[in-house]
Amino acid sequence: MNRIAFGLIVGGIVALPTPNLQAESPKPTVSPSADATAMATRIDQLLAESWAAKTITPAEPATDAEFLRRVYLDLAGRVPTVAEARGFLADNRTDKRRHLIASLLHRPTYGRHFTTIWRHLLLPEADTNRQPLVFAGFDSWLHGQFERNVSFDQMVRELLTTPLDRPTPLKGINNLQGATNPTPISYYTAKEGKPENLASSSARVFLGLRLECAQCHDHPFATWTRDQFWGLAAFYAGIRTQDRGNGLSTIGAEVLDRRELSIPGTNRVVQATFPDGTEPVWTSKLTPRQTLAAWMTAKDNPYFARAAVNRVWAQLFGIGLIEPVDEMAGGQDTVIHHQALLDELARAFVAQKFDLKFLLEAITSTKAYQLSSRGKGQAALFSRHSLRGLTGEQLYDSLSTATGQPDAAGGDDLLIRPNAGPRQEFLTKFGQQTSKPTEYETSIIQALTLMNGNFVGQATRPKTGELLTAVMEAPFLNERGRVETIYLATLSRRPTDKEMEQVLAFLVKRGSGDNPGEALADLFWALLNSAEFVFNH
Amino acid sequence: MNSTSSSVPRSAFRVPRSYPGWDRRHFLRTGAAALGVSVSGWLDQLAAAAAPDPQRKRACILLWMNGGPSQMDTFDPKPGHANGGPIKGIETKVPGIRVAEHLPMLAARADHLAIIRGMATKEADHGRGSYLMRTGRVPGGPLRYPTIGSFVGKELERPDSELPCSVSIAPFRLLSPEAYGPGFLGPRYAPLVVAENVIGGPNGRNQDIARLLKVQDLDLPNGVSDQRGNARIEFRDGLDEEFLADHPGAAGDGHRTAYRRAVSLMRSSAVKAFDLTEEKDALRDKYGRNLFGQGCLLARRLVERGVPFIEVTLSSAPGVNNGLGWDTHQTNFESVEKLCEILDPAWATLMDDLKDRGLLDTTTILWMGEFGRTPKINPRKGRDHWANSWSTVLAGGGIKGGQVIGATTPDGMEVKDRPVSVPDLLATVCTAIGLDPAKQNASNVGRPIRLVEPTATPIKEVLS
Repeated sequence: MNRIAFGLIVGGIVALPTPNLQAESPKPTVSPSADATAMATRIDQLLAESWAAKTITPAEPATDAEFLRRVYLDLAGRVPTVAEARGFLADNRTDKRRHLIASLLHRPTYGRHFTTIWRHLLLPEADTNRQPLVFAGFDSWLHGQFERNVSFDQMVRELLTTPLDRPTPLKGINNLQGATNPTPISYYTAKEGKPENLASSSARVFLGLRLECAQCHDHPFATWTRDQFWGLAAFYAGIRTQDRGNGLSTIGAEVLDRRELSIPGTNRVVQATFPDGTEPVWTSKLTPRQTLAAWMTAKDNPYFARAAVNRVWAQLFGIGLIEPVDEMAGGQDTVIHHQALLDELARAFVAQKFDLKFLLEAITSTKAYQLSSRGKGQAALFSRHSLRGLTGEQLYDSLSTATGQPDAAGGDDLLIRPNAGPRQEFLTKFGQQTSKPTEYETSIIQALTLMNGNFVGQATRPKTGELLTAVMEAPFLNERGRVETIYLATLSRRPTDKEMEQVLAFLVKRGSGDNPGEALADLFWALLNSAEFVFNH
Repeated sequence: MNSTSSSVPRSAFRVPRSYPGWDRRHFLRTGAAALGVSVSGWLDQLAAAAAPDPQRKRACILLWMNGGPSQMDTFDPKPGHANGGPIKGIETKVPGIRVAEHLPMLAARADHLAIIRGMATKEADHGRGSYLMRTGRVPGGPLRYPTIGSFVGKELERPDSELPCSVSIAPFRLLSPEAYGPGFLGPRYAPLVVAENVIGGPNGRNQDIARLLKVQDLDLPNGVSDQRGNARIEFRDGLDEEFLADHPGAAGDGHRTAYRRAVSLMRSSAVKAFDLTEEKDALRDKYGRNLFGQGCLLARRLVERGVPFIEVTLSSAPGVNNGLGWDTHQTNFESVEKLCEILDPAWATLMDDLKDRGLLDTTTILWMGEFGRTPKINPRKGRDHWANSWSTVLAGGGIKGGQVIGATTPDGMEVKDRPVSVPDLLATVCTAIGLDPAKQNASNVGRPIRLVEPTATPIKEVLS
């Protein structure tokens, strides 16, 4: 282990009197927003009323450690380091949770984490590494949006109206310059420039509407008709593609005044129409995509703000205020958990100029978000926090953090890259969740990878594991101190008294061999493989 | 920590089978008469036909042609018609049945094949088509249907088996991950995947195929003894027991199940099934030294060891679009030829090998992709997606070979005779392997769901 890494880790291990000695320490200049505080209070009020009406008793408040781990995973995409955990747990300020939230929203980890979240939504095609060159420039574009905290409506307008006549990333990759040019154009490439693919993706992600089932024919019980679907698709009708002969197509020059298309396989021509049935007002200044973007992101659009708010809520609770988040209206199985709360939150989001950080700060500041996840049986209406699976990125970055390899979780390695590094390799095994986070499925392969694979194997070998070595070599730690440190590194909490006794007994039983580090390594291994580590809760 | 929760006896992972002997067919026989309900005739016929020997272990191998194989250039050739392209038809062992010229070994074994030329479906998108073919259901709606490997595997699972009930070899799941999942049956029945195909992933050329086809990370890490490995697994189990006891939910249940099954697999000698180096070189050569060929060999080894469902995906060939190999929008004829060079020996050898071991009669083989391809040849000498009239093939156990079912028009554009729907096809497979397609499972929306849509009618002339 190099000296610097050793110093960093040991710096975290020692129970330092002040928490703010590390690079990622909270900046004192960041303070909580009063508007977010007011909104949080209002959310709690609405939920309390609903709980009272339905005689639901909410769970206990989350402990500091429970909250700490959860909010790091949700806003930074990884667990806290030992130093961050110690610092927060030792902090005596009564408003330390608000301060942590505000500071997490201003760290580089914020942009990085939300880039991966939104890329999965917008470019699911990239999830298994398919044709990585096609997706060049997209991550850096998204990352720039979150770094600069571009308002959500502006971000969506940029995506939906981006000019398509620029050099495509595929061309650019040849001169290596284009590979890093931030551009959302991959959104169009990934959808093969097809109006129907673009319509179904933009309706799902930005409007919370699943129209594509009506693509082929009207369904007897569905709300959406085939004409409504193709009416939306017609806004993208001017996009031209060029087949490159290798299965990839690139986007060509766009016919800017095309406002209709004929439904494939039929003679029926459909005019561009908004899904709510209103007719666009055409002007010569705006192209069809610009017209669509203006309608979609308007303050009074009936779907846009609500869909965004619902999605962010679902990201933080595992369940949306309306489910499914992609099908908020018209689905056979659409379930409304809290309409009034959604509407009020959507209004506040619009009033705050579509500021995603406002939304995240308000929701994570609520008592509801800060409820414990402990309990038995079902818990309705967000009255207890749920067990949520981690994304592949969250898991990899948390493993890196917990095992003392912060570089592996470093800031820049978020792009879809042609060359698969260890993070990419890991993501192909862990990044293919299709179900909701509360219904996360673990595969046998994943369990085998975590138990016997290289990553955890290296980290839990006394000679190669950075954190493990630091813990073993730290002269000021006794056995209890070492156990506590390993708990903080993995579970972001101290062991309970009962757990400490059980662990010490295990260490004594296991530690009789030649290698005293082995038993500690086994404890570390077990914690990294535990449900408490691999879930957000 | 509860030390009794440890040591993981293998028998602990047996799943109780639901009400043995008390199945749908039983209900229909007894219940229908009592209620005076007319039971559609085929059920009784099938009950009589299927499973004369209940002790026989049946299995199913799906040969999945990712991308959508061209029917006109494989099992429904149209030489002489403009749509037929340059590919010739050849005679087979069965007089009157002709297949495309690139399948000579299968032609010589046509007496085992039942070629269905009247597939008529409605989904011509890779994702939606895969979901339809692999679950028997149209995508969308509240239910998450299980993939065929999961629902067949669940029914045929043997409680004493240490191997999973369903194995997926070299799948390319990108475009429709849910078409490969266990759906409402839950992760317990998720197929075990080996050699997953991801573009940019490890399945390129110059790979050690035998190594790729092994279950990864099965051995304890270097330097960890069995005793130590067991002790820490036991400790880990204890941690989970405590944590999951007051963190209920599907996610936690799935985690617990996956770890139990993974540990059970680690401790089993049955995983030797995945070691292809045990096979003779000559036989490995016959299958073809490529991922699909060796995957077929692995499928036979798994059938021998009682795994009831195995699928082998053919999704690439040298010089052919990797991942969606059969998606031949351009240069269709060259690509199909290269793919057939892999398909023909692998599938033919698989049938020979199963037959030599007395397993062909109890192993049903299903050949299909997500759809067929346009009869008309496009300007890039390619064929595009086509669901209106295309082919699938059945062979082996429970199947009466040596026949063609249905026909398309001379231009290939329409099914002229005996159209077959997806539920019909899957009901036929179920019946061939001794399952009642109307058997019900509990689902995630609280109502029981049949293996196959109730509208399904097995293709009775195909069943032996």
